Amino acid sequence: MDINSRPVVVKRMPERLNSRTAREFLRNVRPFLAADRPQLVFDLSLVSQIDASGVEMLLKCMSEAHKRDGDVKLASLSDQAAVVLELTRTERLFEIYETSTEAARSFSGFLPNSMRQQLLHNKRSATQPIAA
Amino acid sequence: MDIRGLLLANSEHHHAGGNQALDVPLATLDVTGKSALQRMAERLQQYGISQVSAVVESTGPSGIRNFGLPSDVTCVSVAPDRFWKVAESAFNDMAQSGAELVILVRLGAYAEADFEKLVQFHLDRKERVTQMAADEQKLEIFCISASRRNDAASLFRTQLAHCRSECPLLQHDGYLNQMASMRDLRQFAIDILTRQTQTCPAGKEIKPGVWSAPGAMIEKGARVLAPAFVGSLARIRSGAVITRCSSVERHAEVDCGTVIENSTVLPFSYVGAGLDLAHSVAGMGRIVNLHRDVTVEIVDPKLVASMSVGSGKRFMTSAAEALTYLPKLAFQGVFAAKKAEKVDLQATLRKTSPALGTAAGFETSACDTEASHKFPNMVVARRYGHQ
Repeated sequence: MDINSRPVVVKRMPERLNSRTAREFLRNVRPFLAADRPQLVFDLSLVSQIDASGVEMLLKCMSEAHKRDGDVKLASLSDQAAVVLELTRTERLFEIYETSTEAARSFSGFLPNSMRQQLLHNKRSATQPIAA
Repeated sequence: MDIRGLLLANSEHHHAGGNQALDVPLATLDVTGKSALQRMAERLQQYGISQVSAVVESTGPSGIRNFGLPSDVTCVSVAPDRFWKVAESAFNDMAQSGAELVILVRLGAYAEADFEKLVQFHLDRKERVTQMAADEQKLEIFCISASRRNDAASLFRTQLAHCRSECPLLQHDGYLNQMASMRDLRQFAIDILTRQTQTCPAGKEIKPGVWSAPGAMIEKGARVLAPAFVGSLARIRSGAVITRCSSVERHAEVDCGTVIENSTVLPFSYVGAGLDLAHSVAGMGRIVNLHRDVTVEIVDPKLVASMSVGSGKRFMTSAAEALTYLPKLAFQGVFAAKKAEKVDLQATLRKTSPALGTAAGFETSACDTEASHKFPNMVVARRYGHQ
């Protein structure tokens, strides 16, 4: 059983997230959002300015991803981005991670117990030598 | 005895602290209705020092400016490079016009000093210059014999760091706030609202712990929870919540559904609809978040904006809004595809749905006002008390 077959797409957000750059960014990520069960990580480390349309774009991406049973997670929030997300009460809607790597890993982290056991079993059987 | 007061307010103090978030001296910013400068001028007057002058650093045009000081206080605003020169000449003018003692206070720190004790201590010891101190730290509060011009000059020329002669120290045991950063400014508001200071909020206590200045407008459906302060001509729109030692200063506006928690909204500032401002000082297009210790410039006027200080400009804006209100309604009535359903605030508050707006497949609105059209995707997610 291959749990991690679906790719995790990590996108770095632009420094200024206003209506124009948000539209552009949305256009760039739309193909990934249209995939089946999309898994996206947005890296906000560079963001120094974000306005209401930037926040709305994030919500739109999350909504699109949820429609297709996927998720959007945020990583490396700059102070500016964190303050605006807190101000607009949207920080509680996203899973937020310290780094993009942690965010990407988290997509395979939340497995139901039965699947986790099966995965472990598969790994064990792959490493065990076949008896002659 | 002719005793006069000289107040100095400049921003060097907080430049050194590395936390200069705004371009004005912190002492000139309103805290629960009055600035530290105003409070100090009034305190001097309470001690019978009727002639008070103030020298305030300003990046704007130099000249006489009031800074909300009482009308009998002479106030001069000067450019930063001329600040100390003007301060020295203000002292010399006082000495020449017959002052015997000058109480010099630089804000800086706000200390509720006992000026009577200071003068008595100075006279008893026949000193030239006496300084106040709190524990080991020297405060920039001096009592200077006006005839000792050279001692005063040495003080002004070293920016109050040294005096030619030795200054005895008088220990201060009252309230003290360093006022070096926005955190201190916020703490000052908390201390005033929780009555840890002798100075009070500049307004009427409309219910226990809630102060409101004349002209403050708290709309129906808005909640102001004690302790809190609403300044003169400030407007708290429907559904907004002001709580936990928050202070909304004069002419500020908090739009629908916004929660202001443990924060200060500076004068002439607008905080948009459906927001959550916590542990911050907002205004002048910036938010100083005290938890994160960061200053963020907000470019989006739907979130935080500055309103015009000039009353004429504000009047014109209001008049334009009033004139366009009916045509706008008529236009919406004719061209809107479907009449927007009137939003019940309580029902909206009860919704745990986050600010997804149309993206989640339903319309949300912080409240049914113009502001909600500007920012339709925001909704109150946090609930307070029984709301």
